Amino acid sequence: MANSAAVLSMYDEPMWESIRAHDWHLQQCDDCSEWRYPPGPCCPKCLSPRSTWRPLSGRGEIASWVVFHRQYFDNWPPPYNVVAVKLAEGPLVISNLTGPEPEGSWIGRPVEVAYGTDAAGTLLPQMRLAE
Amino acid sequence: MTARDLARVGAVIGVGESDYVGDHARVRAGEKPADSYGYAADAFRAALADAGIGRDEIDGLIVGPTLAYERTGEILGINPRWGGQADAMLAVIEACMAIRSGLAEVVALVYGNDQRSAAIQYGGPEAMGGNMFLSYVYHAPWGFTSQGALYAMMFRRFGELTGCTERDLGEVAVAQRHAASLNPHALMRKPITIEDYMAARYICEPLRLFDYCLINDGGVVLIIAEAERARKMARKAPVLIHGVGRSDLNRGATSLEPRLLEFYRPAQEACAAQVYAMAGVGPEDMSALQIYDSFSCHVPFALEGYGYCRPGDVGRFMREDGIGLGGRIPVNTGGGHLSESYMQGWAHQVEAVRQVRGECGARQVAARGAGDSRFVHYNSDVAGKAVSIIYGS
Repeated sequence: MANSAAVLSMYDEPMWESIRAHDWHLQQCDDCSEWRYPPGPCCPKCLSPRSTWRPLSGRGEIASWVVFHRQYFDNWPPPYNVVAVKLAEGPLVISNLTGPEPEGSWIGRPVEVAYGTDAAGTLLPQMRLAE
Repeated sequence: MTARDLARVGAVIGVGESDYVGDHARVRAGEKPADSYGYAADAFRAALADAGIGRDEIDGLIVGPTLAYERTGEILGINPRWGGQADAMLAVIEACMAIRSGLAEVVALVYGNDQRSAAIQYGGPEAMGGNMFLSYVYHAPWGFTSQGALYAMMFRRFGELTGCTERDLGEVAVAQRHAASLNPHALMRKPITIEDYMAARYICEPLRLFDYCLINDGGVVLIIAEAERARKMARKAPVLIHGVGRSDLNRGATSLEPRLLEFYRPAQEACAAQVYAMAGVGPEDMSALQIYDSFSCHVPFALEGYGYCRPGDVGRFMREDGIGLGGRIPVNTGGGHLSESYMQGWAHQVEAVRQVRGECGARQVAARGAGDSRFVHYNSDVAGKAVSIIYGS
């Protein structure tokens, strides 16, 4: 086995820099204002190549969740959860819910970004339940 | 401009498979019976014998994604006038396209995969497919890996919104295992109950062990000929390809939007409209349904997406109307990827052909078409690429 690793295209690098600064940024299209995830060379909505890296509000709500019971990576010993979160800005992202877990269904629960680490200490944008 | 009709242009005249059961036993004992090309060659010999034709009749060659085109042709001794590489479902469509255009008349579709003995990984640091589908590797920093996990995330939301429970989902594994128990080519033939299913361990919750496909070695070959010529040359009655359909959802694919927010429904509906119109038949005419089932939850998604039950009703449909042999619509009548053999959709085409021919013995489905005709519908959605094929008498 080995640790998990991020995909680092030339467009991903600035995002991970912003995450390391605890201030997650994504590209926003200069022409149609669409937020983009994953980072990329042009806007999938209007094809404009012009964009600006802007900070996220950090707010969103859970669209779905799973719990891993099998180990695939050294730095992810099971059990652990993974959540899909619809960000307030629009993009759907994958993350982990840290801290208290909801009773019953997790879908629709409001969350906010909480920076945390995997078992190897690598910093990640994760989520916690919001008030 | 509308799609030029591919209805009844091509017909399957021969099918062949490697010895899944015998080879799997040898692999589990630590042997290496063959590589991907060796399994393909086993299946090719079987398909030629099934068709009753010689190799020299073949003038088109399509190889699966795990085989190199030139090397496959070299090993099988085929110098075609047309060829290419495609997955199972697109190989069938491309063969029909080549025949329709006159570029080929008798096309061999060749697949082999030594994924078990070669220890191919579908999750983790060496996850296969990441070069083709960014979603398979992009979320690894959060521990989110394996195609099974992507489907677990999809089924969780689908189940929460529609009321399809984990127990309802168990109907898929139970029905397909029962079908496999009647299939001598199937690897997993011991029947299971819903209680067995529920008692099995979670892999990625809400999906359990029996929701996941097998990983085994094998090869599959289909021979598709121009329909008129098929009637003259084949040993058995040709199985016509009555219609094909395709619709892809690529926008938002890596962030999983079409998967989690739409369950690929728009692609399935567009694909269904195309294939039913081309074939001139609908869900009510089908004797059986073959669904690409790398994971069990493909089945409920497809039952709703292709119009076999009302949207939101699939949990009840599977539980009460039934998807097993003798049910409202028998699904994956050979056992599918979960219980027969994981041939990435290729063996599903073989099962469809054999069911139309009426060769399936104890697991044979009944005719529902006019006279004694049978239609079998195949569909898949690999990463939001919805593809559909209707086979029939």
